[in-house]
Amino acid sequence: MSLDVAVETVGLTKDFGSIHALKDFNLRIEKGQIFGLIGPNGAGKTTALRVVSTLLLPTSGQAKVFNLDVVRDAGEVRKIITYLPDEAGAYRNLSGKEYLEFMGRFSARNRNELDEMVRQAADICGLGERLKDKAKTYSKGMKRRLLVARALMTKPKLAILDEPASGLDVLHAYHVREIIKRYVREHEVTVLMSSHNMLEVEHICDQVTLINKGMIVAEGKPKELKERYESANLEEVFAKVVGFA
Amino acid sequence: MLKGFRNILVKELKELMRDPKIFLGMIIVPLIMFPVLGSIMSFSMQTAQEQAQKASVLVLNNDGGNFSAILISNLSATVKVFVENATSPEEALSHNLLSYYNSTQFIEIPSGFSANMSEHLAGNKSVKASVMIYSVFSGSGMFEDLGSSIFDYFIEGFNRQFQPNIVYSEKSSIIKGEIKNVDPRMLSTLMLSQAIAMPITIMILLTYSMQIAATSVAMEKEEKTLETLLTLPMDRFAVLMGKLAGSIFVAGIGAVTYMIGFNFYMGSFTSSFPAGMNLDLVSLGLVPSLFGYLLLGISLFVTLLSALALAVILSAFAEDVRGAQSLVGYIYPLLFIPSFVLMYVNIESLPFVLKIALYAIPFSHPIIASRAVVMGDYWTVAFGIVYVTFFTLAIMYVASRLFATEKILTLKLKFRGLRKSKKEPVE
Repeated sequence: MSLDVAVETVGLTKDFGSIHALKDFNLRIEKGQIFGLIGPNGAGKTTALRVVSTLLLPTSGQAKVFNLDVVRDAGEVRKIITYLPDEAGAYRNLSGKEYLEFMGRFSARNRNELDEMVRQAADICGLGERLKDKAKTYSKGMKRRLLVARALMTKPKLAILDEPASGLDVLHAYHVREIIKRYVREHEVTVLMSSHNMLEVEHICDQVTLINKGMIVAEGKPKELKERYESANLEEVFAKVVGFA
Repeated sequence: MLKGFRNILVKELKELMRDPKIFLGMIIVPLIMFPVLGSIMSFSMQTAQEQAQKASVLVLNNDGGNFSAILISNLSATVKVFVENATSPEEALSHNLLSYYNSTQFIEIPSGFSANMSEHLAGNKSVKASVMIYSVFSGSGMFEDLGSSIFDYFIEGFNRQFQPNIVYSEKSSIIKGEIKNVDPRMLSTLMLSQAIAMPITIMILLTYSMQIAATSVAMEKEEKTLETLLTLPMDRFAVLMGKLAGSIFVAGIGAVTYMIGFNFYMGSFTSSFPAGMNLDLVSLGLVPSLFGYLLLGISLFVTLLSALALAVILSAFAEDVRGAQSLVGYIYPLLFIPSFVLMYVNIESLPFVLKIALYAIPFSHPIIASRAVVMGDYWTVAFGIVYVTFFTLAIMYVASRLFATEKILTLKLKFRGLRKSKKEPVE
């Protein structure tokens, strides 16, 4: 595995009892990419992200992050990644700033570094004075922006974002996508994100993998996929790949 | 009728009754718990009565006259009697005669008993004969005074043989080896309020703490902050220990405030009784010593810790706060049964199997301890602390294994018997 490869999975499977969530899942993500994992609900996107982020153990196969095995070197992997779960919340009775400080302390080596992280996060989320308010007073969009900022503020080598703009209105979703794009450009962060919104992915991702029922059904750059399947957008590509169209 | 009411009601009933947690918690558990409690209570009362009837009694005969011989003879027909002549109550205690005869009470027939009876029967009604009844106070609960009440019936029967009110009894209690001029019945009534209040308070404290701990973990799962924590560069055991330490801090405050409240509660009895009753728990030696308070505090603390660790494990099986609270509810019978049983019954009077079952429940121990420290029985408290500590360590080990693996995220309690097994899609 080259150092330019951020994530590589080989023959990855994950079973939950009799349910096969991932089947022979092979993925390769280059460093500095925004990589989209797309598919319908229940396709296995979250399971794949959870395995890469060391939350779940693979049933078989291998997953590596910057050449570190997610099972054997889980502790080391956690030092270079951040993970944003789908529909996650913040601690209701902490203020936005307290939440960012709490999360930052796990990575920051000193007070100055922590302050810099929080300043960065405040800049990313754009919540301004509202960061002093408790998280329970935030709207869904504000909360998501806070969490995206938390996931990016430590400048991880790999940010794993599960449905980063899910449930957000058009403006909030646009804002979150812009944050991700800007941050990747400025800080060379690799992003592995999932979405069931294929139009959104088309606008933000350099490379995408379409998955269905735990298996990869197509992969490539959005433009290439559209050309290959003679489709106007990724939704059409997906429909053709799984046989709806 | 309100428009739509019936439709809403039917929907609500379907929703609620089809929820296995509600069905089990609200219907099945009470249907089992109360019959179990009732059986234990009824059995305990029966045992206490049988024990009182089988008990042996030491008679200190300091009279030596005819009537004392008749009294002893009549008493022998009711209970097993041992007689010592020319022995004062103080001598009986100092020579450990009660343990020698395996008895918990003695009757002193004072000198002049027969002479007073003869004088009364001769027509001098102002002269009466008396017997002194001394009962060992064991702090055993509601049926404590059953033994001494048997003598009331006996004296009544004896008087009917001769003349009404010819003999009366004076009762005293033996508390921690010392004779105190307190009627055991009065003492029992006084201690009963304490016997009820302490288990209830402990029960409330434990249930409340468990809800806090379970909610804390379940909230992390529901809000998915736990997933975030588990991907941070930190030791996963630290997540568990941090959670427990936070709960321990709250529990510690709970234990201290409980002890302060308990101290006030015990002190309040010195002034709440009517004048002339001369009941003062402090002077009777029926309040814990400083060491006793310390032991009780430790017992309560380790039990709280075990309850919190158990709540953390249970909440690992839940997907959300509501689920966690329902799951914690399943162990409430383990809190309620010891509390209710030990309110009324001395654990030592229960049959072996029940006794072991109660000792095996960690939540019994602070209740047992609260009574044992009053009686100065520190070994029982120490045993409870050691047992609950080991139980807690075992539970914490299981909890740490859960946090170390993916099980903390993937475990779910399924009620396959109550609803169709349904394969949920995995996202």
